[in-house]
Amino acid sequence: MTLSLVVRFAARDWRAGELRLLLAALLLAVGAVSAISLFVDRLQRALVAESTSFLGADRTIDSSRAIPDRFRELAAEQGLAAVDVVGFPSMVFANAAERSQLASVKAVAAGYPLRGELRIAEQPFGAGRVTDGLPAPGEVWLDSRLFPALGLELGDRVSVGYSEFVVGAVLVSEPDRGGSFFDFAPRLLMRAEDVPGTRVIQPGSRISYRLQLAGTDAGLKALYDAIEGELRPNYRWNSIREANASIGRALERAESFLLLGGLLAVLLAGIAVALGANRYARRHFDHVAVLKTLGATPRDIQWGYTGVLLVVGIVGAVLGLALGVLVHLGIIAALGGFLPVVLPMPGLRPLFVGLVTGFICLLAFALPPLLGLRNISPMRVIRRDLAAGVAPAVTYGFAIVGSLGLLIWYSGSVFLTIWALLGAVVTGGVFATLALVLLRGGRVLGMQAGSVWRLALAGLQRRYRENVAQIMIFGFAIMLLLIMLLVRTALIDEWRAQIPERTPNHFLMNVAPDEVEAVQNLLETRTDYDGELFPMIRGRITVVNDVEAREWRQQQWRERGEGRGSGGGRGPGMRGERNLTFSADLPDNNVVVEGEWWSNGADAPAVSMEDDYAAGLGVGIGDTLTFDVGGLPLTAPITNLRRVEWDSLQPNFFIILSPGALKGFPATYMTSFFLSREQKPLLNELLSRHPTVTVIEVDNIIAQVRTIIDRVTQAVELVLYLVLCAGILVLIASIQSSRDLRLKEHALLRALGGTRRLISGALVSEFAVLGAFAGLVAVIGAEITVFALNRQVFELRTGLHPQLWVAGPLLGMLVIATVGYLGTRKLVHSPPATVLREV
Amino acid sequence: MSASILRASALVKRVPTAEGELTILDSIDLGIGSGAQVAVVGESGSGKTTLLGILAGLDLPTAGSVWLDGDEITAMDEEQRARVRARCVGFVFQSFQLIDSLTALENVMLPLELRGDRQAKDGARDFLDRVGLAARTTHYPRQLSGGEQQRVGIARAFASGPKVLFADEPTGNLDTATGAKVADLLFDLNREAGTTLVLVTHDAALASRCGQIVTLAAGRMVAPMAQQRAAMP
Repeated sequence: MTLSLVVRFAARDWRAGELRLLLAALLLAVGAVSAISLFVDRLQRALVAESTSFLGADRTIDSSRAIPDRFRELAAEQGLAAVDVVGFPSMVFANAAERSQLASVKAVAAGYPLRGELRIAEQPFGAGRVTDGLPAPGEVWLDSRLFPALGLELGDRVSVGYSEFVVGAVLVSEPDRGGSFFDFAPRLLMRAEDVPGTRVIQPGSRISYRLQLAGTDAGLKALYDAIEGELRPNYRWNSIREANASIGRALERAESFLLLGGLLAVLLAGIAVALGANRYARRHFDHVAVLKTLGATPRDIQWGYTGVLLVVGIVGAVLGLALGVLVHLGIIAALGGFLPVVLPMPGLRPLFVGLVTGFICLLAFALPPLLGLRNISPMRVIRRDLAAGVAPAVTYGFAIVGSLGLLIWYSGSVFLTIWALLGAVVTGGVFATLALVLLRGGRVLGMQAGSVWRLALAGLQRRYRENVAQIMIFGFAIMLLLIMLLVRTALIDEWRAQIPERTPNHFLMNVAPDEVEAVQNLLETRTDYDGELFPMIRGRITVVNDVEAREWRQQQWRERGEGRGSGGGRGPGMRGERNLTFSADLPDNNVVVEGEWWSNGADAPAVSMEDDYAAGLGVGIGDTLTFDVGGLPLTAPITNLRRVEWDSLQPNFFIILSPGALKGFPATYMTSFFLSREQKPLLNELLSRHPTVTVIEVDNIIAQVRTIIDRVTQAVELVLYLVLCAGILVLIASIQSSRDLRLKEHALLRALGGTRRLISGALVSEFAVLGAFAGLVAVIGAEITVFALNRQVFELRTGLHPQLWVAGPLLGMLVIATVGYLGTRKLVHSPPATVLREV
Repeated sequence: MSASILRASALVKRVPTAEGELTILDSIDLGIGSGAQVAVVGESGSGKTTLLGILAGLDLPTAGSVWLDGDEITAMDEEQRARVRARCVGFVFQSFQLIDSLTALENVMLPLELRGDRQAKDGARDFLDRVGLAARTTHYPRQLSGGEQQRVGIARAFASGPKVLFADEPTGNLDTATGAKVADLLFDLNREAGTTLVLVTHDAALASRCGQIVTLAAGRMVAPMAQQRAAMP
């Protein structure tokens, strides 16, 4: 068959409306997949951009040593932007008020921050505005709480080391403040070129060096590959995932979800294509038989119909891509107000994904029924009862191989794919059995029913093969939608639970015992604070197991063959003082991983240590520590190790002592509480009344985390809606493909005197029963799959959803009866002769 | 009569059924000369249609051979048989078998298009004209009466210039008057083209217009050659 003949055949089929369903299904496949891919691609880029602002960069290299020039040179070679940030603690002196305060100094070079924004204000604790500037040389920007603490106003002068600076602005927030809560001191932002003049950087000073990096993924990867060997043990390479675990996890799960959504859309579209192709093939059995009597060879038929498919594929792909672009633009336009991020331009990959999806869908789902046409016997022209079609094994084989390839390629995850497919095959088997049982049961019930129902149930029973298939398809589509819905709900609940409303966003420290009551009163009357202040004692480890702490540390270094200062584990070393607390109960976000928490009322001195910190110090259960607490020695054994959730935004401690251990030692107190932005001026009042109290503000960090999670949630919901559209189209395609058979029967009934009301009633009842069965079957499948997905992929807690067992069948009944009625209404209202001629 | 263009030897057709094997055709030997007009008659279930299918190469016998235009089509695969059909066979069916989605003209064009004929449209138009449907070229089958549909079917059958035309109850779905007109058209065109005609029918009048009658009963030939009277039911 020549190409022009194939095109002519395709055009004639199109004119006759034979290709519309197939083309619509293909359009949907390509359109849905490219719309989801385009949107996800852009959203992912936006989310990554958003979350990298949390780091102030795409990647950072952190160290307690100066960053080698070689790293900067290599970064420049890769076309990456790089900015140095140096942090160190230093005393700040207010010259006029003659007060001083420890500050956490951050010295930054021009270009900072590479991602995200700096906010400054004219008033301490003001809301602030975004700035793209930096402090001028000779100028510093200070955290709000330094102003009351040092009695400062804008324009006043402060000293850091040997240099004097003008206070230029109130620093409200900086993008990379988050992550570490060890950084308790208020921030002072200055220019890197002013640092040498202060002469505060001396050998042995505690300095943290950071190189911020930004650029293309390829460039970043190339840099990482080039310096990977030189990073350990002195330099740490950070991306958002390492820098903030909870955001990293949310992003990872969101990606998995979006991917799952895409996969389901592909599967649904595949089913729609298969249904469309099946209907097309069925309507061409006679057509092919005639062609064969006219001399068309099986090869002509095969290439002819493959050619028609190719024409449909090309048209469908081009229109589908256009549809995908339009739909995703529509989504973005509709969401304008909700998507405050500016979406970057998409890459070409989503379009390619859409295109390949379309063609694979055609090959896997549409080609098998059409290839079956090759085997149609020409004898069919004189004996219409001859069986026709493809062996199901071939069809399923094609579909399985096609879906498998498509899913693996699309998801890049063999695990997820095999799992999803196995699930689909097993549920398919279960569905078929269930559907058969339900249909049989339906007939028994139908015997006692009125005429409409009897007709409907008799119809269901008579075409039970087709109906089992249809229940499976309906059920599968509904199941996929339920899966999306359930997983999405579980995900979003989990994210919301991570940072509940009114999470404490301020910490108070250094509250003297005689201030506890006043502070507590102030907080309780002016906010809805109902927490408590708990004791904190500054202490230093002096002796470990009768060995002096410094000596112990050196022993550890020697044993591990590490250099000094390389710091295994997290947390401060042994030399400085640190915060100790005592508590009778294990704090909420802590889990004992080794040993046992002390029982209530135990008076014996005991130490509980964070497990990473203990590993870094080289101590464990049974080791005895001696602390120097305000000049007095305190000795206690380590009885348990804890894992601490540092992202919980609750006060956390490396070292907790039993209440008995610290009895009689002088303590200061700390607490955490929630303040809304409007309530922030309270801090000014609090700090004026209690100047020695330290406030740590984490509200900006919490707001940042919440923003990111909100955006991810929106993305997840959008994808759910898109998959929903794909699901509804499958339902329509499925009803369309079974329409002919049903209508022929019902037209005959009408010719024999059945009223329109009877026929409509029977059709709607039939669809309703099919829908209810499909809904039930879908709920079973969804429960099983969601249980597995939540456990294996999303690591979420999961259980049964009783409300679904009612909602599923009801929803199935309603939707399928409605779609079925709308799809057949026109023909039910046409004269029976017209219907009989057309189907 | 010239040499056989269609010859069948020892044809047997059996099909498996739930009650065991059923013999549909048994020991059929047949020779049809070029240009001959042969009617195959017999009661329902006597095997007429099965015989037509096998003779035309649409179906294969269980045993025996068929030669069509010098080729042993029973020894060919479907691909080769299709080529033989394209080259020298035309069909007219009881249920017309027009393709619903194509216009009358496009239906007639089909066999020409399949052969790659560049003048398919003109040729088809010419044949529609000869069956008296020049004004209905753009009509779809459902817009035509039964008689008109069969005339399109006849135009399609002759359009490819077949050597042998197989007709399966060509007037079976038509009223007597229309059937007679269609039969006249069929025989007229057949005569003009010198085509060999193999006709399966119940209709005694139609069968009587053929020079040769083959009568089947329970799958066997009971009156092989020109015994018209005995063959009439």
